[in-house]
Order: sequence, then structure tokens, then C-alpha cells
Amino acid sequence: MHRYIIKRLLMLIPVLLGVAFIIYAIMNVAEGDPVYQVAGPDATEEQLDALREEMGLNGSLLERYFRYIFKLLRGDLGTSYVSKMDVMQLYLQRLPNTLKLASVAMIVAVVISVPLGIVAAVNQNSIKDTVSMILALLGLSMPNFWLGLLLMLLFSLKLGWFPSGGAEGLRSVVLPAVTVGVGLAALLTRTTRSSMLDVLRQDYLRTARAKGVSEKRVVFHHALRNALIPIITIFGVQFSNVLGGSVLAETVFAWPGVGRLVVDAIDQRDIPTVTGALIMTTMLVTIVNLIVDIVYAYVDPRIKAQYTK
Amino acid sequence: MDKNEERDILRIENLNVRFETEDGVVHAVNGIDMKLGYRKTLGLVGETGAGKTTTALAMLRLVPNPPGVVECDRLEIDGQDVRGMSASKLEQVRGKEISMIFQDPMTALNPVFTVGEQIAESIEIHEHLSKEKALEKAGDMLELVGIPRQRANEYPHQFSGGMKQRVVIAIALACNPKLLIADEPTTALDVTIQAQVLELMNELKEKYDTSMIMITHDLGIVAEVCDDVAVMYAGRIVEQGSLEEVYGKTMHPYTEGLFNSLPNIKNRQAMLKPIHGLMPDPTNLPEGCAFAPRCNYATEECKKACPALRNVGGTHMVACVRYEKDPNFMIDRRKQNG
Amino acid sequence: MADSKEMQLRASKLYKKRSSFEMVWRQLRRNKGALLGLALLIIIIIGALIAPIVYDYDTDVIGMNVRERMQWPSARHICGTDDLGRDIFARIVYGARYSLAVGFVAVIIALIIGTALGAAAGYIGGVFENIVMRVCDIFSSIPSVLMAIAVVSALGKSTANLMLAVGIASTAPFVRVARAAVLVVRGEEYVEAARAIGQPDWKIVIVHILPNCLSQIIVQATLRVGSAIISAAQLSFLGLGVPAPAPEWGSMLSSGRLYIRDYSYMTLFPGIAIMITVLSLNLLGDGLRDALDPKLKR
Repeated sequence: MHRYIIKRLLMLIPVLLGVAFIIYAIMNVAEGDPVYQVAGPDATEEQLDALREEMGLNGSLLERYFRYIFKLLRGDLGTSYVSKMDVMQLYLQRLPNTLKLASVAMIVAVVISVPLGIVAAVNQNSIKDTVSMILALLGLSMPNFWLGLLLMLLFSLKLGWFPSGGAEGLRSVVLPAVTVGVGLAALLTRTTRSSMLDVLRQDYLRTARAKGVSEKRVVFHHALRNALIPIITIFGVQFSNVLGGSVLAETVFAWPGVGRLVVDAIDQRDIPTVTGALIMTTMLVTIVNLIVDIVYAYVDPRIKAQYTK
Repeated sequence: MDKNEERDILRIENLNVRFETEDGVVHAVNGIDMKLGYRKTLGLVGETGAGKTTTALAMLRLVPNPPGVVECDRLEIDGQDVRGMSASKLEQVRGKEISMIFQDPMTALNPVFTVGEQIAESIEIHEHLSKEKALEKAGDMLELVGIPRQRANEYPHQFSGGMKQRVVIAIALACNPKLLIADEPTTALDVTIQAQVLELMNELKEKYDTSMIMITHDLGIVAEVCDDVAVMYAGRIVEQGSLEEVYGKTMHPYTEGLFNSLPNIKNRQAMLKPIHGLMPDPTNLPEGCAFAPRCNYATEECKKACPALRNVGGTHMVACVRYEKDPNFMIDRRKQNG
Repeated sequence: MADSKEMQLRASKLYKKRSSFEMVWRQLRRNKGALLGLALLIIIIIGALIAPIVYDYDTDVIGMNVRERMQWPSARHICGTDDLGRDIFARIVYGARYSLAVGFVAVIIALIIGTALGAAAGYIGGVFENIVMRVCDIFSSIPSVLMAIAVVSALGKSTANLMLAVGIASTAPFVRVARAAVLVVRGEEYVEAARAIGQPDWKIVIVHILPNCLSQIIVQATLRVGSAIISAAQLSFLGLGVPAPAPEWGSMLSSGRLYIRDYSYMTLFPGIAIMITVLSLNLLGDGLRDALDPKLKR
């Protein structure tokens, strides 16, 4: 198992280099030379060249990329064009807020979806099943930022239960987290249902019932443990979408997270900040996926056996 | 003890099971009576789809509903009425009074729990032991079925088919049930393993005074382990009696057909005589004898009404109109056996 | 010669046995949800097509009318008017043109690139497959909204760039579906047969392999159009999509948001439009999936 984890960690390296390259390349084909933006209209040609050198903008794309990577390996993401602050610092300032939002959102999603999916599967084709599936379909079809606006309208502007923005106190995280979590909840409800339906047909549940295991234990112990396997997969795959969704929620609720940082930086054409934040976010997703894979192995002994071999 | 001799471990009267599906109603079991004495073994014989497994599941009240609907006039296990039992009472009966070995050991075990846990669960439920004690006893059970107890911590995928079936047997016997239903326990196994597993079951049955219902389509297995035999066709019992009665004085044409489908070891030149045709569609059973369309002895009479089981001496019962109408009627096998 | 004819015939018979249009339609007709989705989608498409006939773009859709500004829904303006006095209903109907166009074009881009790469990866295998799949992994670990944001901000704001950005961000799933499907059919008899009679690889892939994964690709595409529409709306909401004053639903929400406290109808209707459109596509996609792949039906 340890060897598997180490192998996976080593495999991360080429993936992360690739991520950095793709993002760096996309961000650097942007029109216009950023030196003009920094230097202002009155700069002379010599000043511009000096600035180019200083900002690491001289040389071919590949040269610049390698310089960037070497700095990245030392934890240096460059300096923001706008605030002149260290990008890594900017990112780390915002990261805890985004992680807080994402984790509350994921908890909300799981708390809603897993019970709903189980109820739907256990009562297949009943009214409970139909209602759950309609809710899931609406959740999937609703743009999350619009849901966020509606939540804000009802719960903060009309009822005043929660603040409409900012990250002060526990209450402020509720609306943004629900905004991000509902889409994931919808997807997980469907996955839980179909995965449970699959498992509920299995012979080993009949064996359990024939032993005298109670129906509750059959569903929550014997079936759920098996059904969790695909649910965990979806959970891992969706982490990147949760971070994506939080970009919108952060905008709607003025939540000072990484998403807001990126959107503001794009508005100001602050390329080092955008590039750095995107690379770091993708790394986060990749690492979370690795953790999910490891959890997965602990839930399913068959997979664990494959890894240890 | 003596009182037990008089009572029966199992009594079923007029058991009916049907499945109400979108494509029609499947009549899986149609009016079965069954009685089993203590420490006896009954062989329930018939081809695939005859309703043997459904009958067994009905005894445990494990027929999935919907779509399954079970109706019967009497269903008693060890004198207790199972029909009206509450869910919690049923849970006490399952695994303790009556337990079942399932057909396919490959799918009968939960892949995410160790085999030790799966055996111990039954012990935990019925004997109210702590987890440690139950696991300890699960180890004993594993040894009993011929698996070293150290393997209790392994998962089902680490076992071969024959070993898995031993685990399934250990689960079924963990709480020393009074009645054990074995649903084709050897069908999914290699021939060489089959004999081992059968021998093991025979041994354990003797050791624990367990009554047993052996579901199979293999007449050889029945001869080896059973005291009584019931032959099922299209959800009905067509012939039943002691092993000697059914094997020695076979009366029903379908039972004869089953015997004729066996390869003849003494005379290897002899041709197999399979039963022609297929079992009738259980959504649309014929009005008369369900076997009539495939029966060599069928007359017009057979297609009119469904024959009832009639006693023909001793415990021997048969459901065939020909015997009612013609006292001298005899099937070919009887003629040969004399 | 006779042999090869026979094999060819056999090969073509084998793959044509699959999902004919009629069979799918028969399945689909029994699914009320899918029919509802199809009906809604047809209505929305018709609305988008006739919008330029009913409304004059310059006066009805983007023309300011200060006297009529900020009017709550009434018989005259059934969805009310916005801060510049423009009829919100007219803008929503016209906006369907943008959303549908962006959604469909983006998915077509993703479908063409993704299917080609995925099919090639599955068929060729080896190092090429490895590289394609790793790149695919990389793309799917970048949150697709952020990916699209990066592309738009690099290429500049325009409707075409929005399509491209959303398209690139939704390519990876198609690569996966196409590759998986090719891997499944690659070893089948009729493909072997086609190879045995010496058909060129590209022809085998296009004629024999792709038609067999078509059903999965169609399902994937239908469901993706919905998420592409949402992605496009998200970008427009962030100010990175279709530039103003075009009546894109996301940017309508973005401007309505400023008046959410007192004029909530401005936020309500464009969102409902997005939701109904995406809902219709999801209903249809789910129905198609059940009809084309009965194995998945529960």
C-alpha cells in the first residue's frame, strides 16, 4: 500500500508539470505585451526592455516556461502586476476561505444526497423515488449562481437569517456552501440511487437476510458499504467542479476566496496571479483525487489487494 | 426428545407463490404441501424453473415483495407459525431455527467484509456474544468446514469457489439451526469438489442432528443424502415418498423422464432419453396436467383437469390421472424394474 | 474474392444490427420525461428561430426606453422591463439564440476534437494513447469554469471565443467515452473481419467502429449541451462571455443582480429560462440514454 502511494506521488510530478505548461501557455498567448501595462505610456524602449527582463518576459515561450517552473519548484509563483505582492502569499491568504467553503459545501451535499439516494433506491418506483429524482434533476438543471441569487434574495434580503456577503462568522458560509453544494448533491443523489439499486439486487444481501440480519442493517451496513465505492469515485471527480462552482458563489456572495482572486485578477489582466492561482488549484484537485483513491482502496478490499501486489 | 419425534420440523400446506410483473403474473409455486420429520433429509428435485428455490425462499419469508406474493394455509417451523411473524421475530428465526445455503458461492458472500466477520455476524445476532467471542467462534466454524482459522481475516475474493461454498456452509451452520435448506450447494463447483462438500454436509448434519432440505436436479446426490424425495414440476409436487418408494417404484412419468435423462453407467451403449420439449411458460400454465404436453403417456383426460396428489401406498404419493382411471396402468420403468 | 465479399457483408450486417432510429423512437415515446424534454426543447428552438421576425433587434431588444424602465411584470411586459427600459421577455426569447448557439457549437467543438482524439487513442494505443489520456487527466483536474475563464481571458471576450472556451473545457469527457467505446469494439469479430479484408485503418474506425459508439456519444453530447449552456451563462455572469448589450441570459442575471433587493423579477426570469432549457436537455438526454443503452436502465 505504501509503495502504491509513493508510486502515485511520483506520477503526480509529470502531471503537475503538464498542468503548469498548459496553463502557462494559455495565459501567455494573451494579446498585448504586459510590460506596457506595468510601465505606463511614457516609458522608453530601454526601460521597457529592462522591465521585460525584470518580469521574466524575455526569451521564447519555452525558455520562459522553464524559468517559471524552476521558480515554482522553490514555491515562487512570481509577483502580481497589480498589487506587486507575492502571488504565493496572495494565494495562501485566500486558500483557507475556499477550502472552508468547499468542505462545507461537500458536507452539505453528502448530508442531503446520500440519504435521499438510499430512500429512492429502497423505495424504487414509489412516490418518494419519483420526488427524489425530480429534485435531483432540478438541482442538475439549475445554474448554481442563479440559485445563489435566489437564496440571497429569500434568506438574507427578505428574511434576514443569513448575511448576504463576506466571510464573517459561521453564518456567512451557509448560503455560499448551499449554492455550491446543491449541484453536487443532485449528482450524488443519482449516483447513490443507481449504485444502491445495483447492490440491492445482489445475492449476498439475501445471505445476510437469511442469517437473521435486520433490514436496517442489511441496507446501511451490508448494502451501503458496497454502494459507497462508486459514490466515492464521483465525489473525487467532482471536487474540481466544487472548486469551479465556488468561483461563482464567491462572486455572488463576495466571499474572499481563490475564485474571487482569479476573477479580479483577470479583470485587471494580472497574469502572474491568474496563472499561479490556476496551477495551485489544479494541484489541489490532483492531490485530493489521490487521497480519494487511497480512501477507495480502504473501502474496497479487492482494490487494496490489487495495489499491494 | 420423544415429543420431537411426533412433531415435524416443517409443515407447509397449500403454498402458493406468484410474481406480479409488468409482463404478466408468473405462477412459480402452485399449492404445495410438505412435511419434514426431525433429523430427516428431504430431496427437492426438479429442473431449473420448477419453483424449488422459490419454495425454499418462501419458507424463510424471503420472497421479494413486490413483485412476489406468497399465500399459504399453513407454514410452521418447529411448531411456530411463520406466516404472521413480526419482522423482528422473523429475524430471530432466520439463521437460528432455519438457515439456507445458497446456490452460487461466488455471489453469496459480501465482498467488503472478511469471511470471519460474515460468519461471526450470525453468531452475534443469535447468541448475543461480544464481537471478539463471536469471531472466536467463527474461527471454530471455519475449522469445522476444513478451513484454517487464520484465514478468517481474509476477504471472499481470496478464496476459491469450493472454499467459498465451505464458508457459506459455515455461515448457515454457525448457530446450529434445526432446519437447513441447501439450494443446489454443489452445482457451481467442480466435480471433484462436489463430493467433498457433500460429504462435509452429511457429516455436519449427523453431528448436529439437523433436518435438511436438499434442493437439486441431481438424482445421484438425492440417493446419497436423502431419506425422502419430492419431485417438483411447474410449481407443483408431482411425486413424493421415501427414497425407496420413489426410486424403486417410480410412478410419475416426469420422474421417469428424469431417470432416463441420466447417463447409464452400466450400459454405456444405451442412448440418453431426454424429455422432449420445454417446461410450460409459468405465466400461462395449461389447464390440465402441466406435464401432459411432454408426456408419452398423456391422454385427452390429462389435458382437462390438474391431477391431485394421491396416496398410492405407504408414504408414496403421485399426481397422475392415468392411475386413477386405469388400475393396471404402468410406466415403462416399472415394467423393467418389475 | 468471394470470401472477402462475404466477410464484408457479414461485417456490415453485424454493425447495422444496432440501434435503428425507429427502435430508439419507440423506446423514447414511452418515456414521459423525455417527451416533455423534447417538446420543451422544440418550443425553445422555435422561439429562438422566430425571435428576429417577431422582435426588431435594435429597438425591441437592445434599444433603450427610459420612460418604461424598471417596470414590474404586467400584461404589457409579462416579465417586466430592465434598468434601461428593455422588455425582459423579448430579451429572454432573443437570448435563447445565444445560449443555444453557444451550447451547441461548444459541444460540437468538444465532440469533434474529443471523439477524434479518443478514437485515435483507443485504436492506435501505445505511447500516443498514453499521452492523450494523461493530457485528458490534466484537463479534467482543472476546474472547467476556471479553464474556460483562462481561455477567454487569453483570447479576449467575444461570442466565438466563449464557444471555443466552453468547448475546450468540455472536451475531456468525449475523449474518454470515445476511447472506451473503441476499446470495447476494437476486438470484436466484425472489426477483425474488416481488417482481414485489408480495409485501411481510418476507414475501419469511421465505418466500423464509430457507428457503434455513436449512441454513447449522442447521449454524452445531449447532456453536455446543458452543462455548456450553464458554463456559458456563468462566464457571461462573470463578465467574460457575450459582450453587452447582447441579451445573453447570464449577463442579464449579472445586471439584474445589482437591483435584486427591489426588482427581484430581473433576476428571476433569465434564470428560469436557463433552467428550463437545461432541464429539457437533461430530460431528453436521460431518455436517450435509457433508450439507447437498456443496460443502464433501472
